[in-house]
Amino acid sequence: MLSSIKNSAAVSPSKQLAMMYFRVAIVLFGAQLLMGLIAGLQFLYPSFLYEIFDFSVARMVHINALVVWMLYAMIGSTYLMLPDETGIDKPVAIGLGKLAFWVLTAAVAVVVLVFIFIQVGPGKESSIWFINEGREYLEAPRWADIGIVVVVLIFYANVFFTYMKGKKTGIMTVMVANLMALAGLYLAGMFFTDNISIDQYWWWWVIHLWVEATWEVFVGTLAAYALIKVIDAKREIVEMWLWIEVLMLFGSGILGLGHHYFWIGTPEYWWEIGALFSALEPVPLVAMFVHVLYDWGKEQGHADAHGKGSAIKNGPTMAWITINAFGNFLGAGIWGFFHTLPQVNIYTHGSQFTAAHGHLAFFGAYATILIGMMYLGIQQVYGIERMKTTFKGKMAIFLITFGVLGMTVALTIAGYEQVLVERAELGAGWQAFFTAQNLPWYIQAQTWREIMGVVTFVGFIYLVLDLLTIGKVAQESKE
Amino acid sequence: MLFETCTDVACNNIFAWLNQGPLTLTIVLHTIIILPMFWIYFSEKKKLNGDK
Amino acid sequence: MAEKKASVWTSISFWRRSAAWVTGFATILLIWLTFDTISQIRMGTDEELAKGIKRRIPAPTVINYKIGYKYDEKRGLEVPVIGPEKNPLFGKELSPKEAKNLLHLGKLTEQAKNCMDCHTLLGNGAYYAPDLTKAWLDPMWAKGGPMQAMTGKNSKEEAMVEFLMHPDKYPTHARMMPNLGITEKEAKGLVAFLKHMSSIDTNGFPRGFSKTIKDYETGGTYAK
Repeated sequence: MLSSIKNSAAVSPSKQLAMMYFRVAIVLFGAQLLMGLIAGLQFLYPSFLYEIFDFSVARMVHINALVVWMLYAMIGSTYLMLPDETGIDKPVAIGLGKLAFWVLTAAVAVVVLVFIFIQVGPGKESSIWFINEGREYLEAPRWADIGIVVVVLIFYANVFFTYMKGKKTGIMTVMVANLMALAGLYLAGMFFTDNISIDQYWWWWVIHLWVEATWEVFVGTLAAYALIKVIDAKREIVEMWLWIEVLMLFGSGILGLGHHYFWIGTPEYWWEIGALFSALEPVPLVAMFVHVLYDWGKEQGHADAHGKGSAIKNGPTMAWITINAFGNFLGAGIWGFFHTLPQVNIYTHGSQFTAAHGHLAFFGAYATILIGMMYLGIQQVYGIERMKTTFKGKMAIFLITFGVLGMTVALTIAGYEQVLVERAELGAGWQAFFTAQNLPWYIQAQTWREIMGVVTFVGFIYLVLDLLTIGKVAQESKE
Repeated sequence: MLFETCTDVACNNIFAWLNQGPLTLTIVLHTIIILPMFWIYFSEKKKLNGDK
Repeated sequence: MAEKKASVWTSISFWRRSAAWVTGFATILLIWLTFDTISQIRMGTDEELAKGIKRRIPAPTVINYKIGYKYDEKRGLEVPVIGPEKNPLFGKELSPKEAKNLLHLGKLTEQAKNCMDCHTLLGNGAYYAPDLTKAWLDPMWAKGGPMQAMTGKNSKEEAMVEFLMHPDKYPTHARMMPNLGITEKEAKGLVAFLKHMSSIDTNGFPRGFSKTIKDYETGGTYAK
């Protein structure tokens, strides 16, 4: 992955830029996991790094690294598919695109350093502007918000005008429209209000309409593109599925936003809207799951009929896409549905249940396919005809998937205990909270979560080693 | 009781008014969204048959 | 039956048009709902409070009133009960402007100190420390509760201010709140923010808030 730019004069500049984004993404992914391990350990040993690197700091960097590495990988994936989908090798403003990359990376580095070393500020507007906005997931200070908007505009303009100049495939049409919504939504989270209800109302516009609507459609477009590349799926079929997914994802996801408006001061009518629309959110995820496996089976059938062996041209990408199909349905679909009805949610809201869902959903729906796209990028810039999964790659797949599943199950058990004891039995006060946190079953679950976190991290190390070497190894074995 | 009057803080708006019993509001919204798809379906069908 | 017609179900244009319709209409509905909801969750006015007119989010001057959280038979959930008795914060009734400024300082401090990455507010945030939605009403802080005794203060608000300024001095649990350098002024703002938040109509969240506190006092199951 590191040497992919040097020896690839023939590779399109767009794909080179994609690899630059992927590289930062994987570093931030590592940072996310490390911070998660620290925060998880603090649940077990609260004095660990107390008043030096408190839970709030570890947790803030944990979730921000997550969002940012995914945005990096998403921008990278877009640059990766741009030449293939538009037929234009060099995006209209590639120089500006590269500049935007460096500006964004410098800004991210400054924000992270401020988070780690300055941590919190006084209760003044200047803290919101320069240190920490203090709104979960959107902690980035205001100056960085504005910087992000500018950089994303450059990226979007690059994609949009390249699209207008080139071929207009269905996949790219969805991509361009969806990216506009994705970028525009960020603006909803950029203002200050004294009213915590209005604050959280708009905050959810960004968070929910990202991860349960626009990001999901983004994943749909990536899967469509990757299936064409990896198993030669037919474009007409893939694009038809994509429109069905857009229909169902936006149809359920946009008003499914209501499930965040049950308890933040908003009217009762959101109960019904949130409940039923969000209860339908798993439906498109089943569709995506069926679609991936169906196309795989179909193309393998064709290959068998012609005696061509495996239909898969990129083993690791296909593996990660398949895990994405399972993981998206399981993590976002099933684990989300668990607590989406208000009758359940009044007890589970803000418990470890949410954490369990968050872990499996972000991993299953996004991390998986973005890792798959990194492998696809490596295959393309190294010009490898068929890329097989290596031992390291298999270890990464197994350990990361097993680790995240383990964390999810552990957190679900912790959440179950918390919900029944703290919420149902004792009524959610301060004493109730700590009584539940102290129970042996809860502590056991948190211990298992930490162990599974370590397993995930070991898997991550295998993943990095594999990403660094697989291109070279495959290229050498070809020569 | 199946149908109950609004008990929310504010009831003088269309959404609270539609929210008068089990799932009434959400069923109305779903119906409004689904119905035009029948029209889209039949217009597509006409187009497909016309091509033949 | 003579000729097999192509199916609409496999027609890309059918799905594309449907997707466009559903997405567009859902978006319009969401915007409409947003207008309606925002009008309902704007902060009320001081006059409304004085007249006892219910708002989902009362005016900042709600901190001058006594706040409770009681089960409402008709709605089947707990709702905040505001006044009519007054119970001014720090014993001094604030004008609408003063109350607004104090709340503003509190909200700014809440964000600048990053409360949400340990606590939950209205149930959103991190799950490392207790939910603060109804913290103002938590029996821990009430007269005769452990926090007033521990901080040596005689009122809920003074105990809260003392704790927020020096959380590291009061070992409430192995998982202690760190000292975030909160000044006395900021702490007062935070207390105003917490009291205001407890007056928000959250549709009954959290349910059965601290209902078992009597058990602690009477030496019940979990008594310490």
